Amino acid sequence: MAPPSIPPPTTAPAEAAPTSAAPAGFLANKSRFRLFGLTLDGCIKVFFGGNAVVAVVVLSLITIFLFKEGGGFTGQNRANLEIYRRAGLEFVDFMRTQVAGHTALTRELSELRLRQFNRLTQEQKLPPAEANAALATFDKFSDQFDDAVVPLRRLVSDLTETATAIKDKFAINENLSIARQQLLAEGKAAEAEKIAVKPVDFEAELKPLLAALPDYQKAAADEAAKIAAALAAAPALPSPELQARLEKLKSSARAYVNGFPEVEKTLRSWDHRQPVPAARAFAAFVFGREWITQSFWQDWYGILPLLVGSLLVSLAALCLAVPLGIGAAIYVNQLASPREQRLIKPGIEFIAAIPSVVLGFFGIAVLGETLRWLSQQSWLSWVPGFPYSERLNVLTAGCLLALIAVPTIFTLAEDALNNVPRAFKEASFALGASRLQTILKIIVPASLSGIISAVLLGLGRVVGETMVVLLCAGNRIALPDFTAGLSVLTQPVHTMTGIIAQEMGEVPHASIHYRALFMVGLVLFFLSLLINWLAQKIVRRYRIAIG
Amino acid sequence: MDAPPENHFRSRPGAIRAWENVLHWLFRGATYLVLLCGGLVFGQIVWRGAQTVFTTRAPFVNVAFFTEAPESLHVFEYQGQKQELGDRAFNAFKVAHPDAKDVKDESYVYSAGGIFPCIVGTVLLVAGSMAIALFLGVSSAIYLNEYAHDSALVRFIRLAILNLAGVPSIVFGLFGFGMFVIFFGWNVSLIAGWFTLAFMVLPVVITASEESLKAVPKGFREGSLALGATKWQTIRQNVLPYALPGILTSSILGIARVAGETAPIMFTAAYVVRDKLPWEGLTKASDFFFQGVMALPYHIYVVSSKIPQNEYTARVQYGTAFVFLLLVALIASASIVLRSRLRNRYKW
Repeated sequence: MAPPSIPPPTTAPAEAAPTSAAPAGFLANKSRFRLFGLTLDGCIKVFFGGNAVVAVVVLSLITIFLFKEGGGFTGQNRANLEIYRRAGLEFVDFMRTQVAGHTALTRELSELRLRQFNRLTQEQKLPPAEANAALATFDKFSDQFDDAVVPLRRLVSDLTETATAIKDKFAINENLSIARQQLLAEGKAAEAEKIAVKPVDFEAELKPLLAALPDYQKAAADEAAKIAAALAAAPALPSPELQARLEKLKSSARAYVNGFPEVEKTLRSWDHRQPVPAARAFAAFVFGREWITQSFWQDWYGILPLLVGSLLVSLAALCLAVPLGIGAAIYVNQLASPREQRLIKPGIEFIAAIPSVVLGFFGIAVLGETLRWLSQQSWLSWVPGFPYSERLNVLTAGCLLALIAVPTIFTLAEDALNNVPRAFKEASFALGASRLQTILKIIVPASLSGIISAVLLGLGRVVGETMVVLLCAGNRIALPDFTAGLSVLTQPVHTMTGIIAQEMGEVPHASIHYRALFMVGLVLFFLSLLINWLAQKIVRRYRIAIG
Repeated sequence: MDAPPENHFRSRPGAIRAWENVLHWLFRGATYLVLLCGGLVFGQIVWRGAQTVFTTRAPFVNVAFFTEAPESLHVFEYQGQKQELGDRAFNAFKVAHPDAKDVKDESYVYSAGGIFPCIVGTVLLVAGSMAIALFLGVSSAIYLNEYAHDSALVRFIRLAILNLAGVPSIVFGLFGFGMFVIFFGWNVSLIAGWFTLAFMVLPVVITASEESLKAVPKGFREGSLALGATKWQTIRQNVLPYALPGILTSSILGIARVAGETAPIMFTAAYVVRDKLPWEGLTKASDFFFQGVMALPYHIYVVSSKIPQNEYTARVQYGTAFVFLLLVALIASASIVLRSRLRNRYKW
């Protein structure tokens, strides 16, 4: 390094203090080295600053890439829905819904029969053969009911083939034109010319489908007549409870039959040329109740079953984790002796360190089996949903997720309790309040904002958790049946994180399925941002209240 | 004898006191229930896993489990005796016993051999991603704590860090897949996993580093600056040496997180099975970075979800979980112990 430059000798008398003359000699000259007009220190500062911006860059890159990859989804889904309409799949599905309605009624009927059968064998101790004989009239009725839908079902399966054929033709054409465009792009015009792409004439192709309308009318009329006949001849069931259910079934069967004209009207007014608006393609994702992929018929990408599954599992986990986490925080912060504190805190930190995949494995190997065994014990049969047979379900995943959420909630809630000024506690004691009164009425309310944000951050942690739900939630893609009350907790579900982890590795790049998964990721991303933002807002808003 | 004088200030038994006791025990019960659950999970895996990892004969450790690659397990009956052999041993057995050629066997994938490639892969992933995360994270923390003033940019950076911490790990996986694997064309590779994991753990490292920097008293900096040192000299000689142990210990928690995460590497870095070890069969040096690896957490996922549960598969399942849990637990407890040591070392 160069020695500091020596200032020129001043001409002023020595006793006069140098007020503001040339630069003083003791000031080290730090600014020799320059790069783009910056001193060395400036460069270092810029370097560190650049690194600090990485967090912002990463966050925006995540947003950009999620949007980039998921962005094409609406357009592709619109095309997907458009072909669904133009190939007549939608037309057939109207009829299929009618068949499905019948199937649901039949299922209820067989459930009734099973109940009655169990009653006969278990309460009246009849041997199975005799019980079956006693149910002969009921069986006749239910057979009659079953048969009603046969013509319609046959029609639907015929039309399914027709519609699938149209769709396949279209898909083949699409592939051909893609190949052709590729060849053109490569400059092989001659080869491209050889690929003849005949556009599908939907109008002509759909003719047999539309011509089936009279057949449908006949089948529907037939079904209505048969159901009416069957209902008229329905036998009575001995127990009032079952009879009530049968009556309910009858009335819903009548309502079902009354819905036929509506279906017919829809079929009549159906027009394959009607365009699908982009909003509908988007709504099909946000409000779609089905997530069906790689089906021969029609793929649906509806997020609802996954979103509901995620929220259900998270709520189950929070119900367990919130009392435990906050209770533990209050105990450790206010009640425990210092020795206990030193023991418990690392213990809970240790739980936080258990990798989630290990917890998931524990769920598969031990917890699922144990909980199912517990549910089948007779002394626990009063618990809603017990006994159940699915080993992996909301409850299994919820229990393990609770173990993940507890350390987060505990740590943050304990921090919040710790931040309450000592004077609050002392003042409360001085006024003669007991320890418990102080905790419940002074300290907890004073730190409530911190505790709530702890719970929210715990929720964020749980919603984003992947491996536990992937391994233990059961992975059945369907909206949980909320009519079952609390026993909804013993049903298997699938989650947003789980579906990404499960399907991402297998989908072709840039396909609609691929984009749909990125859309799910986008929803997850914004959900976690929202939770985070709420937590921060609550802390900031109510923190000042402590004074 | 006189009765002892009545103490008017003693607490009297009553409804409030009884309530107090009940609630006290409720809180206490909740605390210990949590610890018990954690202990149960830990205990179960240690107990069952130890049976795979340790043996009763010298050298008391199942060396093959740590040094071999996973292979299929063949269970078959030969001359009235039940045999369990790994893939290679089974083939050798068939050569040695020609009459055993078409013996009926049941095979279970991944259930024999060991988990050496997974251990190697996890170590590589952790080392690389922590190197990146520490570099970026410590630099950011130095900027935020030493250089930055309260400006809009800094507030924005802090907000980004806070939000980044809340992003689910699977979203990082998706992002890594979209950016590194597809957009950069790195395919499923070590380097894609490194960056994905590094970005995921970045908020942890930044927060930890900033806290350690904050703990260094202001006087250190002021003294140094007053003696004429430049800002960078001050930071390098009077701040970093005292903050470094704290930065490192707190960052060990980041290591535990990186090692424990499965979701981000599922489609950026991990292979279900790979015959070659990372340093085998490289044609040029850069190939090392662009190859996928096996990893412990992903292996646990594969063996626990893709193969059935029975006595033969349980060994490798619990064994892998045990080794992994022990690894992560060691890292975590090292951090906890070091931190409490450190807290007592520097007092200013």
